[in-house]
Amino acid sequence: MKNESGFTWKLGMFVVIGLALFVVTIYFVGKQQNLFGSTFQLQTKFKTVSGLEVGNNVRFSGINVGTVKDIELVNDTAVLVTLVIKKDVQRFIKSDAAASIGSDGLMGDKVLTLIPGTFSKPPVKDNDQIASRKAVEMEDVMSSVKTTVDNAGIISAQLAEFSYKMNNGNGALSKLVTDEQFSSSLKSTLTNLQTSSNEFAKFTTKMNDGKGALSKLVSDEKFGKTLDSTMANLQSGTKGLSENMEAAQHNFLLKGYFKKKKKAEAKKQAEIKKQAESKRKNTPPVIDSVKLTTKGE
Amino acid sequence: MVIYLKSIFNDAGNVTLFTARFFKEVLKPPFEIKEFIRQCYTIGYKSLPLVGITGFIMGLVLTLQSRPTLAEFGAESWLPGMVALSLIREIAPVITALICAGKISSGIGAELGSMKVTEQIDAMEVSAINPYKYLVVTRILATTLMVPLLVIFADGIGILGGYIGINIHSDVNLVRYFSQVLASLDFIDILPATIKTFFFGFFIGMIGCYKGFTAANGTESVGKAANSAVVAASLIIFIIDMLAVQITDLFM
Amino acid sequence: MIPEEINTVEQLTDKKENTVISIGNLHKSFGKNNDVLKGVELTVKKGENLVVLGKSGSGKSVLIKCLVRLVEADQGEIKVFDTDITTLDNNALNAVRLRIGFLFQNAALYDSMTVRQNLEFPLKRHSKELNPTEVEEAIIEALDSVGLADAIDKMPSELSGGMRKRIGLARTLILKPEIILYDEPTTGLDTITSREISELILAIQKKNKTTSIIITHDMACAKLTGDRLVILKEGLIVAEGTYEELEKSGDEWVRSFFN
Repeated sequence: MKNESGFTWKLGMFVVIGLALFVVTIYFVGKQQNLFGSTFQLQTKFKTVSGLEVGNNVRFSGINVGTVKDIELVNDTAVLVTLVIKKDVQRFIKSDAAASIGSDGLMGDKVLTLIPGTFSKPPVKDNDQIASRKAVEMEDVMSSVKTTVDNAGIISAQLAEFSYKMNNGNGALSKLVTDEQFSSSLKSTLTNLQTSSNEFAKFTTKMNDGKGALSKLVSDEKFGKTLDSTMANLQSGTKGLSENMEAAQHNFLLKGYFKKKKKAEAKKQAEIKKQAESKRKNTPPVIDSVKLTTKGE
Repeated sequence: MVIYLKSIFNDAGNVTLFTARFFKEVLKPPFEIKEFIRQCYTIGYKSLPLVGITGFIMGLVLTLQSRPTLAEFGAESWLPGMVALSLIREIAPVITALICAGKISSGIGAELGSMKVTEQIDAMEVSAINPYKYLVVTRILATTLMVPLLVIFADGIGILGGYIGINIHSDVNLVRYFSQVLASLDFIDILPATIKTFFFGFFIGMIGCYKGFTAANGTESVGKAANSAVVAASLIIFIIDMLAVQITDLFM
Repeated sequence: MIPEEINTVEQLTDKKENTVISIGNLHKSFGKNNDVLKGVELTVKKGENLVVLGKSGSGKSVLIKCLVRLVEADQGEIKVFDTDITTLDNNALNAVRLRIGFLFQNAALYDSMTVRQNLEFPLKRHSKELNPTEVEEAIIEALDSVGLADAIDKMPSELSGGMRKRIGLARTLILKPEIILYDEPTTGLDTITSREISELILAIQKKNKTTSIIITHDMACAKLTGDRLVILKEGLIVAEGTYEELEKSGDEWVRSFFN
């Protein structure tokens, strides 16, 4: 055939490239699985391997250095895991190195991480058994999260109870905020104070006009001047105080308190009404709902 | 109904005999090596451009189509691995086999069918040349060996297409891309997929040859042979693929 | 060998030696109610040109295909060179087939090969001892004998119908068969080409001393090439004789062929 050589080399090229592609892929994939090149083995025992599988990567200092070769159940509490590791990292893994199981991302494969040992210790030998660290299980993480959530529930329940007591209780603090009698007695106190100040005014007039030792003491010019400057000082003092008060009202920490004070006044009316309606209930509804949400956690 | 069933069983019996004859004759000398090489050339090399283009487009399109979904999970870095895996395990073998069914199976069906109709096969027979050996064995062998090679090419070119697909939206260099691809591959991904392509190739050749070789007399039957070869080969590719996946699953 | 010896042997076993093909009670049917051959009896003598006439569908082609077992006979005996080919295994059958040449209706040239490859295809497989120059010589010789030596590197699709027939004949001749079976050698050709082919058949028969069975319904061809004619009707041979004998046959139906 004349055109034979024409197509033979093309066919040859086709076949050779195809096979080369296949062989190269197989070689590289094999290289990753440590099936080619020199390796050594290590063993380690775990209580649980949390889903580790044969073929998972073994990492040392964050580098993939080998794979899990075999997972075998020794007895009901121990799993023997055999690792195949590249020969050239053997000298870095000391005899007190330990293995732990981690996870490659949230959804990723499990990986077995080797924790390097002490520098001074001799390196591991082939088929050595190394120690293992308990893996951080997702369940552990979840249970600690649960404790936190439970605590938050308790805190919020207590907070609710506290604010309820604040509104309805008989303590000094709550009386200050809520009791009407208390405020009216406060008012009468103020009235009394007014009366006494009136009395005091009369007394001072007498004092000014009178010629007694005391009055003299008071109306004496020199004395008066001294007293005057004292009063001026006092005035500026009170002015400062009122400024402080003003500032305190705008302060964010105490702002709430002042607001609450206003609100509590209004709320108290409603609360009393409500309480009359749901008197048979021992626990107020606010607390109830808080408890419900905590139970849900 | 009975006649219909009987004709189905008759066909099945004929196919079985035809296949059995292949295995009987493939090992018996004389070997038609020259014709085998010529068939490898027409089946393998000549199909490469078609398979290459489809492979490239498959890789590119698969990458572009998978990217939004993976991006939603923030897992775009899995794209090379995912594309390579789907190409090698499933898409490249099946699509390549289907294309070969369309190109090769029908080609063989039409070629042998017309040889049958114009008595060329009879002419070989009477000149004491075994037409089965010369025509059928060489072609089935060639498809069995060439289709896997074509699939490997489709894999390679498809993965390259994936590289270009990724670089449309982001920037990954070639070395990093291939290391990601290789990292996601395993023998269990490559070997079953490669083994099943030999079956694809065998059946593509076998069905084409059977339909052509058993074509009735008359020009119309040539077209029929080519057509039914494509239909039967495509169907059987899917059936083999399903079986292969099931069997692979057993060993996973 | 001494010529006298051959003569004596031929004389002694005259009838037996000279019969190359003998068909006895040959039956063939394709499915139910489709009997094509219903007990054909036929003998062909050495060096004879036998023409089989018959209408389309009378089973002429099936008859000669049975001779090389392209079609398996249902019943009956087919003796070629004194061996019953119906019971032979593949290897022995192929040995017999090599001694028989078959020219198909449309020449059946291999489309994918050049004329040269068409000719060397059977030769290379059966005469492995030949070196390339001998193969080349044999090809040229066969093409020369059909007068188409210059078509050697053409593809079959470039050839006309008559040329294809001739190349087909050359491919048959290259294995030097003792019997040549012609399946409608002149069908689809114009009168002049038909005549050329018929003359070629005759020339080859004279030159190679081959035995031939020629299936045709072309009376010109039959007249030119046939030493003896048989007529096939509904699976049976109904008339036999030379062209002139049959032309004057008393049977109206037989005579209708000659008009």
